[in-house]
Amino acid sequence: MVTLVRPANEETIMTHHASQRRAYLTLVLISLFCLMPFFWVVLAAFDPKASQFLQIPDGITVNHFWNLLANESGVRWVLNSVGIVGTATLLTLILAGFGGYALSRTQAWWKRPLLYAIILVRIVPPPALIVPVYKVMLFLNEWINNLINSLTSDVAQQVVLSRIFSFVDGYLGLILIQTAMQLPLAIWIMKTFFDAIPKDYEEAAALDGASQWQTVRHVLIPLALPGFAAAGLFAFINAWGDFLMPLMFTSSPELQTLPLGMFRAFLRVDAIDYGFLTALAVIYTLPAVIAFAFARKFLTQTFSGGVKG
Amino acid sequence: MSQIELINIKKNYMGTEVVKGIDVTINEGEFAVIVGPSGCGKSTLLRMIAGLEDISSGELKIGGKLMNNVSPDQREIAMVFQSYALYPHMTVAENIGFALALKKTDKAEINRRVLEAAKMLELEHLLERKPAALSGGQRQRVAIGRAIVKRPKVILFDEPLSNLDAKLRVQMRTELMRLHREFGSTIVYVTHDQVEAMTMAQKIIVLNNGHVAQMGKPMDLYRDPENTFVAQFIGVPKMNLLRGNLQADVFTLQSGQKLQLDCGYRDGSDLQLGVRPEHLKLELLQPGSGSENNSEHSWTVDVVERLGVESFIHLCNAARDVLVLRLEGDCDLQVDSKVAVRFDCSHCYLFNEAGVRLLPNTAALDLVG
Ligand SMILES: Nc1ncnc2c1ncn2[C@@H]1O[C@H](COP(=O)(O)OP(=O)(O)OP(=O)(O)O)[C@@H](O)[C@H]1O
Ligand SMILES: [Mg+2]
Repeated sequence: MVTLVRPANEETIMTHHASQRRAYLTLVLISLFCLMPFFWVVLAAFDPKASQFLQIPDGITVNHFWNLLANESGVRWVLNSVGIVGTATLLTLILAGFGGYALSRTQAWWKRPLLYAIILVRIVPPPALIVPVYKVMLFLNEWINNLINSLTSDVAQQVVLSRIFSFVDGYLGLILIQTAMQLPLAIWIMKTFFDAIPKDYEEAAALDGASQWQTVRHVLIPLALPGFAAAGLFAFINAWGDFLMPLMFTSSPELQTLPLGMFRAFLRVDAIDYGFLTALAVIYTLPAVIAFAFARKFLTQTFSGGVKG
Repeated sequence: MSQIELINIKKNYMGTEVVKGIDVTINEGEFAVIVGPSGCGKSTLLRMIAGLEDISSGELKIGGKLMNNVSPDQREIAMVFQSYALYPHMTVAENIGFALALKKTDKAEINRRVLEAAKMLELEHLLERKPAALSGGQRQRVAIGRAIVKRPKVILFDEPLSNLDAKLRVQMRTELMRLHREFGSTIVYVTHDQVEAMTMAQKIIVLNNGHVAQMGKPMDLYRDPENTFVAQFIGVPKMNLLRGNLQADVFTLQSGQKLQLDCGYRDGSDLQLGVRPEHLKLELLQPGSGSENNSEHSWTVDVVERLGVESFIHLCNAARDVLVLRLEGDCDLQVDSKVAVRFDCSHCYLFNEAGVRLLPNTAALDLVG
């Protein structure tokens, strides 16, 4: 009996190994296929003779980057993008923190309708919102510019203030739009995270003599950190890649963000400069990678063992 | 200074009353245990004392001061949660010292007091660990440490031992009693386990369905239960209750068995006779003596539980009355064998239909006495 069983067993083990090898091979091929464009982008960005083909460069150069940052307004685009998206992400996190907490803890009848209304904003494609949003922004813009003009009569000051605080063609407008676009998902993420934090912690803190603010600062925020990391990462990456809103709400070249700059550079150059474009793409990708690396530390940090039963 | 008075305390949740008017005084330094079945309102009552839940009506006084609208941290109480609720992102030392740190106590003082509490609870070697890296019993001790480090006048416990295994529970019971002796704080302790209540309490408050069923010293509740609820709740296995009628000091069971009760109770029908398993005696029926066929006096052995030091015999009779009886040590009874039971009438209780304890006429008592 035993001898009968054994060969069959070995056979299954062998076919098992073979099938596993095949599976791995397929996986490697698929990942190579997916990674190919990235290889090309990175290689081409440092290749003095970059072309549209994947090739091993003869030498290494940083000229494309230099060209982008020094001769074009690359630095400006990066700073604009980082400033606008960074501020919008921060604002999103603050608002989503409060909103998510409130929506998690309330038992009011409007909880569900509101939650679905919030996600609806996310479901509607942004282009469908452009016209009404633009109208609202124009109206606000007029109001803020009147305010600025009444505050100071110095034209130079007026220009600077208007650049920062304008709702159309100004930083404030872009920041608010990006925040509004990223907020729904962030609120949902935060609400789900706060749902998972038992009320016991807050009650324990209350008995320990913590004020509301101390409870938030020492208990809730640390516990919700993975949630903030997830919500922040999504908000940052989404806003970073957004093309439509900067296109609609800016006209001055000084306000251009990276995606816009990239797009215009692509249109402007007659003969396509692959080195320049791939260098731009590398710079464009970098912050998302950094943001992910930063968030990962918190994303994987789960707290357990505080409550039982 | 830390006497707790509850005066007609009630709690409504959206129209349903879950705590229905409770009047209790817990003296300073007393170890009071609130005990009752699941869902009877124990936690709700405790949370109202802590200030985590609004009081719908009635007055709560701690140390003579009205506390209804005082915030939890102003009440000078500490609470140990059933779930422990240790802050998972803080070390044991930070958990214990959190309340002091919030009060901007100076660092050295915090360290000193945390260490003192940790020593008392044998947690010194764990101070730098996070709660996730602790066992259940250690978490429990950290939760207690967090409560005592504030030196509160009142400590509230909500089923603190229910997540521990049986052995650890016994150990923690003695440790809690020792802590109470050392600290002298007033303790209000909630549990659904009557053994915990009996062993630790100086005063037991039995709660049933939002009412106080009875309160008093553990042995008083055991000896003098005022109703069938308390009679069956206190003591394991629970008190036996047998339905029947009483006429001229003779209690007739449904099976027809007659029991002579000596102290003069008033006659009545549909009464319940209560007797504890430890107060019943077994008589083996001699085969062929004739009494074996006397079905009204014979009980059938249903289940025998042997615990070594004692055995519990579950019996039933022709009228489907059930009876649990306690024997010292082992016994060699067979299931389905017939036995007779002797009732010790000085340890019998009588309850009316509604479950309220009936007392013998004092006149009759005098006669007996
Ligand atoms: N927030 C609430 N809203 C509505 N009803 C509640 C709420 N909290 C508790 N109850 C009800 O109040 C009653 C008492 O609850 P409580 O938690 O005090 O029970 P308990 O005696 O502590 O039970 P257990 O031993 O299971 O912990 C229960 O019937 C419960 O359903
Ligand atoms: Mg409870």
